[in-house]
Amino acid sequence: GSSSPQGLPLLSYALIFPSRSLAQVGTMSPAIALAFLPLVVTLLVRYRHYFRLLVRTVLLRSLRDCLSGLRMEERAFSYVLTHALPGDPGHILTTLDHWSSHCEYLSHMGPAKGQILMRLVEEKAPASALELGTYCGYSTLLIARALPPGGRLLTVERDPRTAAVAEKLIRLAGFDEHTVELIVGRSEEVIPRLRTQYQLSRADLVLLAHRPRCYLRDLQLLEGHALLPAGATVLADHVLFPGAPRFLQYAKSCGRYRCRLHHTGLPDFPAIKDGIAQLTYAGPG
Amino acid sequence: LDEKRQTIATVKCKPWKMEKKIEVLKEAKKFVSENEGALGKGKGKRWFAFKMMMAKKWAKFLRDFENFKAACIPWENKIKAIESQFGSSVASYFLFLRWMYGVNMVLFILTFSLIMLPEYLWGLPYGSLPRKTVPRAEEASAANFGVLYDFNGLAQYSVLFYGYYDNKRTIGWMNFRLPLSYFLVGIMCIGYSFLVVLKAMTKNIGDDGGGDDNTFNFSWKVFTSWDYLIGNPETADNKFNSITMNFKEAIIEERAAQVEENIHLIRFLRFLANFFVFLTLGGSGYLIFWAVKRSQEFAQQDPDTLGWWEKNEMNMVMSLLGMFCPTLFDLFAELEDYHPLIALKWLLGRIFALLLGNLYVFILALMDEINNKIEEEKLVKANITLWEANMIKAYNASLAGNTTGPPFFVHPADVPRGPCWETMVGQEFVRLTVSDVLTTYVTILIGDFLRACFVRFCNYCWCWDLEYGYPSYTEFDISGNVLALIFNQGMIWMGSFFAPSLPGINILRLHTSMYFQCWAVMCCNVPEARVFKASRSNNFYLGMLLLILFLSTMPVLYMIVSLPPSFDCGPFSGKNRMFEVIGETLEHDFPSWMAKILRQLSNPGLVIAVVLVMALTIYYLNATAKGQKAANLDLKKKMKQQALENKMRNKKMAAARAAAAAGGQ
Repeated sequence: GSSSPQGLPLLSYALIFPSRSLAQVGTMSPAIALAFLPLVVTLLVRYRHYFRLLVRTVLLRSLRDCLSGLRMEERAFSYVLTHALPGDPGHILTTLDHWSSHCEYLSHMGPAKGQILMRLVEEKAPASALELGTYCGYSTLLIARALPPGGRLLTVERDPRTAAVAEKLIRLAGFDEHTVELIVGRSEEVIPRLRTQYQLSRADLVLLAHRPRCYLRDLQLLEGHALLPAGATVLADHVLFPGAPRFLQYAKSCGRYRCRLHHTGLPDFPAIKDGIAQLTYAGPG
Repeated sequence: LDEKRQTIATVKCKPWKMEKKIEVLKEAKKFVSENEGALGKGKGKRWFAFKMMMAKKWAKFLRDFENFKAACIPWENKIKAIESQFGSSVASYFLFLRWMYGVNMVLFILTFSLIMLPEYLWGLPYGSLPRKTVPRAEEASAANFGVLYDFNGLAQYSVLFYGYYDNKRTIGWMNFRLPLSYFLVGIMCIGYSFLVVLKAMTKNIGDDGGGDDNTFNFSWKVFTSWDYLIGNPETADNKFNSITMNFKEAIIEERAAQVEENIHLIRFLRFLANFFVFLTLGGSGYLIFWAVKRSQEFAQQDPDTLGWWEKNEMNMVMSLLGMFCPTLFDLFAELEDYHPLIALKWLLGRIFALLLGNLYVFILALMDEINNKIEEEKLVKANITLWEANMIKAYNASLAGNTTGPPFFVHPADVPRGPCWETMVGQEFVRLTVSDVLTTYVTILIGDFLRACFVRFCNYCWCWDLEYGYPSYTEFDISGNVLALIFNQGMIWMGSFFAPSLPGINILRLHTSMYFQCWAVMCCNVPEARVFKASRSNNFYLGMLLLILFLSTMPVLYMIVSLPPSFDCGPFSGKNRMFEVIGETLEHDFPSWMAKILRQLSNPGLVIAVVLVMALTIYYLNATAKGQKAANLDLKKKMKQQALENKMRNKKMAAARAAAAAGGQ
């Protein structure tokens, strides 16, 4: 935004009042209150998308949660059960998109970001991929669909109820235990155990989609446990809105990553600018 | 010799290595300097050699002088640093500020050396006349900081303001004619300002020439988009992105130009945006009017019964409107979808209209006060005659006893004073300038610096990215700053006749403003996402400055010509109108025949004839300029036609050659 213009020709009120002593502060006069109107209008109009997003994600969602007693992911899954073809990941994804734009806003990746993700996965063709933050399983299906044959995807979800729904969705899409494995637990507890418990020696592609505040910590954990081979790709969602400034700053300045930002928008809110960061790991040395 | 001379002239263009070029150059120069004298014959030889040597020394001196002049330009490095980081549009504001500083420096030198200095050196000192002394009632508080800050007390009765000057025709041993000088310097300042602004505008017109915007679009974009003065990586990235975006847009535009799309929608949106803007201007105008009405009501009441909000209401309403309405205009501009340069011009025009409302309210209130003071003056004049009569009676009474007593003397501080409306006007403008400066600096400190500190240091513990989303670092607001500069200069032009110190105060303000704003820009602002060149907007700023110059000198000239000067203060006291000082000078100081000639010249018939001749000259010059522009366009068309013909011919020849070669095989 632009700064307010400085140095306005103020009317010297000394024309009318000789002294400038501070008298008692009473109620604000209506003229001054009205003078704030342009500011209010500007803020409302300029940030109308954010207000709409707020309404759809927070207000309407909590309303529906109270009314139906189910969580949003469970509602989404029941819709998918009735409207999508089992075993067809593509159709499930389009059904989820349809539900998100017509019924309720599912804070998922969306078709635009999904296309970027799929293109990158197909390009890199990782043998093993790691996803932090399954949520409802949208991005899991995207990656699993684009994996090369014999590829393996491990996905970590913190919340057990959400993980249960995601597990059902993944199995509905037709992926078996070997291709996609869902781990329930906090990412900072799971990552140290990946090598030992889950036989993951290296992750060629990592998707960070849980909470932007935890990206930096988890990236450093991955580096520390030598789970990133040279040339690995780290993808981070939501780096611009809500934003992960420390993560981006670390990635750009530590010298071990080549950073590239894909600018997109949120699904159903294309005016809200967001981005996916693509980091290419250059090796620990 | 000629051959060697030609070598020297063309060695730069030859494709040789540097060492070879230097060697050839040295050799040629040696040959020329040795044999030059041989051109002259006999005695002329030495003279010729001497002439050559002097010519070379003179050329070298000129070059050094040019370098020295370039090095003397103030703040060049600062502005170049800003240009490399922010692009040429932000730097154009600072160039404008520097130019304004130069103009104000000339005004300051004029007023200081021809008005303030003579009065200080040769005028009567403080305390000798009633107009030069603080009245008895105010004496106790005359040196308090609060009083001085308001430019009352000792500051009011000093060379800073109009009321201090004496109306004696000449002062000092040099017989310096102060009232004449005061008047002439005032007129000269206005004339000089007009001249310098017009000169700058005409200089820029020559620079404007260049490609037309319709042909060779992509060639122009490819070869001329880059700004070679950018030195900062982030700006370079921004510029790169904006050029890419520009290309994409141009390609889309080319494709869409075939389809006559939605010109009606665009026109409707622009009409809607203008409608909203008018609504906003009308609303803010009405709000200011309402606030003025309320403050006039408050002025009738006792000042102690009013709260802080009521006392500062008009002040706050004007500054709040001036701060928030431009962002609203920015919002409406998104409907219009213009190129950023054109959008900037529209935004400037709209903020100009908004601030003009402020200006007119100020002038109306001022004229009200002046009329009040002139009415008050009549009463005071009547009172003074009564008071004088009383004093003389008392003195005669005290003298009735002894014939040898102290002479009739009244201390200047005890003499009753008239309200000096000119000093009041001068004080208003000085107070306005000072409060303006403070407001600017406080706004920069809070709005830019504190905001940048908040974004930088609270970003890590906030839920969304403060740098990328709201509030983020501020971008430098070119339009607001340029308009503020222009309007402040208008205030200076209006007030410097009544407060000769005003150009000096403005010099101080511009000087500190340059350093402070340069620091603030480099420290707290980020370059705009769309970087564009501002080469053509310079004339736009100057045009607005010219308009403000015109609007602000009109009230001053009106006041000089039609209002009677105060009877007891200032260099024109006692006269019926201020410009009578010219008539007086003609009578006393010029020989009578010159006075007669000048009086004949001011004959209305002659003046009308001169005005007619000037109007005809303007019309003729306008027609000539139009004709030449048309001839220019014609030439351009002919050149294009010629180039096309050449292209066709070359194509045909190449085709014929290819056919011949193919036929030959």
